[in-house]
Amino acid sequence: MINRKTARLIALYGGLIFVSTVAVLLARQFSLGPERPAPNFRTFGPAGAPIMIEEYSDFACGACRAAAGKLEELLKVYGDGIRLQLKHYPLVNIHPWSLDAAAYADCAGEQGKYKEYAALLFENQDKWGEAKEKPKEFEAFAGGLKLDWKEMQACSAAPRTRQRIKLEMAEGDMKNVNATPTFFINGKRAVGPAQLVEQARKFDGILKAAHGRHVPPSGI
Amino acid sequence: MPDIQFMNRIKILNAIGLLARLAAGGLFVYSGVIKLLAPAEEFAYAIETYKVAGPALSLWTAYILPWLELYAGLALAAGIFTRFNAVLCGALLLFFEALLAQAWLRGLPVTSCGCFGSGSSNSLEYEFFQNLVFLALTFAAYRYGRGFSADAGVAGEKVSTHEGTT
Repeated sequence: MINRKTARLIALYGGLIFVSTVAVLLARQFSLGPERPAPNFRTFGPAGAPIMIEEYSDFACGACRAAAGKLEELLKVYGDGIRLQLKHYPLVNIHPWSLDAAAYADCAGEQGKYKEYAALLFENQDKWGEAKEKPKEFEAFAGGLKLDWKEMQACSAAPRTRQRIKLEMAEGDMKNVNATPTFFINGKRAVGPAQLVEQARKFDGILKAAHGRHVPPSGI
Repeated sequence: MPDIQFMNRIKILNAIGLLARLAAGGLFVYSGVIKLLAPAEEFAYAIETYKVAGPALSLWTAYILPWLELYAGLALAAGIFTRFNAVLCGALLLFFEALLAQAWLRGLPVTSCGCFGSGSSNSLEYEFFQNLVFLALTFAAYRYGRGFSADAGVAGEKVSTHEGTT
């Protein structure tokens, strides 16, 4: 039989467990954990930029291809006002080669050509995205960009490459990313290119507030 | 009339116990929270580098251990079931010591010990000796931790006169 004092302590312990569990879950919900930066070859713009964009993307997703074009425009228009971090979130259940594509893109990035390889993956996603067997395009793109294919193969199979991508997927899961592309623009979520453009309407105001100077309207 | 010297000694020991509880408990809370706010896979990869558990067991450990650290640390800091939680924290520290020692002796290339998330990590030797300090704190919390604790509050004690014999 539990005596009264022990029962009080158990109740106190239970309360503490409840409160701390709720606090941790809320902190996760609001993404208060430490940020994992994307590798340098997937990061564009200065560290102190007033507009911070983090994108979770999948190379085989059509909306991600559309968003890539919009991001390119935004980077051209706002230049150093934006810091963009690209993170992989391959939807492996519906896109069988997305994870491989992400790995190859990273390996191209390690050879200095992430952007170019990523552009080829997006442009030709209908050719490799739903292939039954391992697509030959990955090698062809590497050849076209004069990348060392052998090195890329070794790099793509390396545990550190796969782990980095899987950690980004797990990080996306923690942030409740369930569609691609998902953006976090100064912490605010936007899903799909249309919501990205909608958020981009505020960029002039953000930059004005940050620099106290006139910024020409973007027209995006 | 109680011996003044004896009472002073008790107060000092209670203060040491309180500080030890807060330090050791705080350490576990910090360690648990920092892991809980990162993907479990991150901690699981760190566990895998010790080469004592496969990916599935590492992932389960990564899901469960941070919650255990958080709850045990909070209870120790607050002084709820102080001795039980001090023993639990001590057992966890001994388990970590065993992991660190075997990795150190085998010369495993552990780049992130996983002790406080993956953000920063010292050498295995450093972490091993640091844990010895935390073990000493946990022992002090076990021995003298009843002062200013929830245990003592619920029992209605004003000043604990126990020296580890609660």
